[in-house]
Amino acid sequence: MRATPSWWGAEAIALRLPAAGTRAALPVALLLTAGFVAPLVAIIAYSFATPRSFDVFSSFTLENYAGIFDTSNTVWLSFLWSGLFAIATVALLAVFAYPIAYGMDRLFGRWSSLVSILFVFPLFVSENVRLYGWVLFFIKNGVLDGSLKAVGFDGGPDILFTPGMILAGMVYTYLPFMLFPMTLGLAMVPKDLIDAARDLGASRLQIWREVELPLAMPGILIGMLLTFVLGIGAVAEAKILGGQSVIVIAHDIEIAFTYSQNWPLGSALAVVITLFIGVLTLAVFGKLDLDRLLGRR
Amino acid sequence: MNLSRRSVLKGMAAGALAAGGPMMTSRSAFAARDKELNILCWEGYNSAQVLDPFRAAKSATVKAESLTNDPTMINRLRAGEISTWDLINVNNPWARKVMWPEKLIKALPRATFEPYFDKMLPMFKPPYKWAMDDTGTDLLGSCQRFGPYSFVVNTDKVSRKTAEDTGWDLFNDPALAGKYGILESDDWNVFGIFVIAGIDPFKVHSDAELATFSETAKKVFKGAKMIGDIATMNQALVSGEIDLHLTGGTYSVSPARADGYPQLRGITPLKGPMPGGKGGISWIEVTSLVNNPTPSPLALEFLEYVQDPAVAHTVAFAEGTYNPVAQMGNPDCYKLFTKEELEAIQWDSLEEEMARSIEYDIVPDYDKALDIMNAAKRVRG
Repeated sequence: MRATPSWWGAEAIALRLPAAGTRAALPVALLLTAGFVAPLVAIIAYSFATPRSFDVFSSFTLENYAGIFDTSNTVWLSFLWSGLFAIATVALLAVFAYPIAYGMDRLFGRWSSLVSILFVFPLFVSENVRLYGWVLFFIKNGVLDGSLKAVGFDGGPDILFTPGMILAGMVYTYLPFMLFPMTLGLAMVPKDLIDAARDLGASRLQIWREVELPLAMPGILIGMLLTFVLGIGAVAEAKILGGQSVIVIAHDIEIAFTYSQNWPLGSALAVVITLFIGVLTLAVFGKLDLDRLLGRR
Repeated sequence: MNLSRRSVLKGMAAGALAAGGPMMTSRSAFAARDKELNILCWEGYNSAQVLDPFRAAKSATVKAESLTNDPTMINRLRAGEISTWDLINVNNPWARKVMWPEKLIKALPRATFEPYFDKMLPMFKPPYKWAMDDTGTDLLGSCQRFGPYSFVVNTDKVSRKTAEDTGWDLFNDPALAGKYGILESDDWNVFGIFVIAGIDPFKVHSDAELATFSETAKKVFKGAKMIGDIATMNQALVSGEIDLHLTGGTYSVSPARADGYPQLRGITPLKGPMPGGKGGISWIEVTSLVNNPTPSPLALEFLEYVQDPAVAHTVAFAEGTYNPVAQMGNPDCYKLFTKEELEAIQWDSLEEEMARSIEYDIVPDYDKALDIMNAAKRVRG
């Protein structure tokens, strides 16, 4: 057996190298990091390339950003619509999902698993297929209109291909993304605290406002953030249910990458929206104690 | 079975080797590529009905990716995918005016392919303009699907005669606001909006013409009931949600006609602002050999394979959309089409509609017009 030099001891190795688990995870970690970083780098680099060119990494211009913020450019309308739809979706979902989440946590008992499955099940069907299903339901002489006419009414409301229908589609599509974090948030509220508040004479409204809501807020905020981020990037609802009655920002990005073949402009739009969402996310997470929410302490 | 972490790791390593093995083999065989073919195309050529018999006959791996607009496909080649694809299937002007001058494609052997052109419908008799380079020397591609493409009406609501006589002015009629849809083919919609504005699309436009284009685009998009894909347009026509839509033609309406709605019909206006007073626009696909540095020998074989009457009939009625094919000039091919199929592709008026149409061309100031049109779309909400 070869003698080990005194300076090459096990202690020295332990000091110089990370733990075996970390070393073993390194290749996958590098791969995942590259997979995450590479597309972002490409998009950011493209956003500084000459408009309508493929001169990525070989040209640098701020023209794409200048174009977006040019007052004569109407792309701000797309940002505005996406923002409004996302805010309205979050507000409506907060109102709709709270009673369901409350029921799943406190009232449904052994049925809550079944209710969860019912809300998850539509996610197994492609979003586009579900949205086309709604088109068939609401279209003239479709399921609703045709059925109402068959039983003697004038027919269904003419709501398809309107901004209101886009909002309805977004609320429908993103309900599970609000519901489950909210349910988790409510489940984190210790029942003892509610009992204690009640014993001390708090009314139901006081318990809800001063105990339940603040303690469930991390879950509610995560749900809101998740649905806001999904909502601001939503495009299928505006295209299929809305019949492009308004153009949302994700659709503008899609047009830039396809018919316009202006990848630098599409990239710049994507960077602006990513930055906006990134700043918002950091701001929200700055106010959240994730460790507490995930039950680590 | 006793599973330890070590045995799991060994299993994973074996799995990785098994998965990586074929990849390494195919990479080493890449230089030869005699059993591999990659096709960039409009939908139809990527269908199993078309590709599977060829795959089986050649024991080859044939991959096809379908896209629904020409500029994207051309830019995929420009962006470096020239070494990926062997064949590219796009509309008529791109081979001659863009891909050939930029050396993205290479010529086909005329001696092999011109006899196929001889058997096509009369308009394709060699040397066929869109398949040749500017000098008329090199053959740049092979032809198959084509069709008129202006707008579609429900003839129960707007008669064919009214639609053909009135032409694109239908979309200027305030009475029809809210009763028409717009198919989301933005490049074709640029043509359509120009023609509705009474301007020939395929020329350089003055500022005044672009201002008219802008006003027309705002008005037309504002009056549209919806903008959507082919399925949405056909569904809306069938349900009565809309009475007509632009842009469209045999390509878009044929699936609905084949499904039993012959009252829906592609219309080619009798008159319009284009040279010769023409009011219609048509497209012709040209499939070219990509200038791939490691070409597949199967590319030429595939181009010959789709000339076969039976395969040409399959291409005409492949999944997605149904279209006339140039090979219908060959009686052996034509006789394969049933009465219903001919009805679906409006064979009865095809020749006169093509005669009334200008062939699709490149709009010199397309980028400017598209930006104006996109801005018009944004203000419709």
